Amino acid sequence: MTLRDLVLVRLGVAVNLVIGQIVAALLLPIYLDSVGTILVASLVGPRAAIAAGLVSQILSAVISGNFSWLPFAIVQVVIALYAWGAARLGLFRRLATAVPAGLGLGLVAASCSAPISYFVFGGVTAGGVTMVTTVLRALGAPLGVAVASASYATDLLDKAIACALVSAVLRSLPRTLAARFPALAR
Amino acid sequence: MIGYLAGRSPLHRAHPYTTLALAGAVLLLAFALTQPLEIWLLVAAGAALAMAGGREVLRSSVRAALLLSLPIWALLFVLYGLLGAEPRLALGFVSLSVPGVARALVLGGRITAIVLGFLTALGTTSPHRLVEAMTASGVPFGRTFLLASTLTVLPRMRDRARQILEAQQCRGLRIGGSPLARLRALGPLALPLILGALAEVDEQVLALDARGAGGGARRTALDAPPDSTPQRLLRWTLLVAMIAAYAWKFWRMRG
Repeated sequence: MTLRDLVLVRLGVAVNLVIGQIVAALLLPIYLDSVGTILVASLVGPRAAIAAGLVSQILSAVISGNFSWLPFAIVQVVIALYAWGAARLGLFRRLATAVPAGLGLGLVAASCSAPISYFVFGGVTAGGVTMVTTVLRALGAPLGVAVASASYATDLLDKAIACALVSAVLRSLPRTLAARFPALAR
Repeated sequence: MIGYLAGRSPLHRAHPYTTLALAGAVLLLAFALTQPLEIWLLVAAGAALAMAGGREVLRSSVRAALLLSLPIWALLFVLYGLLGAEPRLALGFVSLSVPGVARALVLGGRITAIVLGFLTALGTTSPHRLVEAMTASGVPFGRTFLLASTLTVLPRMRDRARQILEAQQCRGLRIGGSPLARLRALGPLALPLILGALAEVDEQVLALDARGAGGGARRTALDAPPDSTPQRLLRWTLLVAMIAAYAWKFWRMRG
């Protein structure tokens, strides 16, 4: 990785970790903890995006003190690869294609996170998702169905908004700045 | 939640890799063990590890571990204890699922043990010593930079996010209202933060290049923490123990 890629990966990690502060201020029921990973995948490529995702997961654990969510690092790898593919197909150039790409990413991410959540943690993970799981369970849904439904519902919304946001960033880049990222022109 | 707490305990004096290996072993063992008794022995081992870090580390780690674990315990109690499968045990005015409680003890104990182990490692591992140890063992500059440097960038980004929020509110941005209205406010807050950070990338690359960070030469650690044969032996033993624990787990699953 070049020095420039390293700096961009650091930026991606910082965005992943700080954007949550804005989301919390807006009291939105989402996380947006992969915006930086998707952005780095679009601007640099899959290797840098995977690095951004993995470092985000580790530093998030260091900052919060909760290291038990480290197995979810694999989800960040999947997000990085999907986002790179979507960027190569030019899906982030318009909002009309970015949102469906985000919904697809939500499906893929939930398909990875739901089994980890169910088999490793018994469905008890982050507060918001587990609350949805608990409500569905109380309504009579089997635990597996409740965990999967909660994961899909939150990930679809979260990743669609994350991709829309990345698309907005890429479209707002001034020409002089955009020209510095050759991956954008491909 | 908890940062490095200076001290002179055996864990403070140990090589950073040894402390991290101990925490890593707790993490891996927590996922290898499946019985309540085994998991709670691991929680006790995590507490013993925190005790080895000294009184201050023990107090901070246990407090932070409780703060992090309690909401999870509450959710486990509802999801498994109250909504769990038959047979049930009546305790006063509540009826608890017996297999549900056993499962909750495993899941909750697992998270408590992991949190306790890593909080102890965080409290006793100086970031400076860790970076020096990584440099001395030949870890490429990029990896050290990403882990150490990002932590220093975060407070600056957080400050900028707060400033943007205040500035946009001064310009009339409303951050309340319906979920859709709040979602619309996301763009004016997140876009300036990300675009501003992207505009600074080249400047930061130049600054790092000027300090010789771009060279591929192996860096010299000025203050490398001492390592010893018993510590290296301990780390290898932990590795072998982890492999044995997983082999035992899969053998038991087959049986």
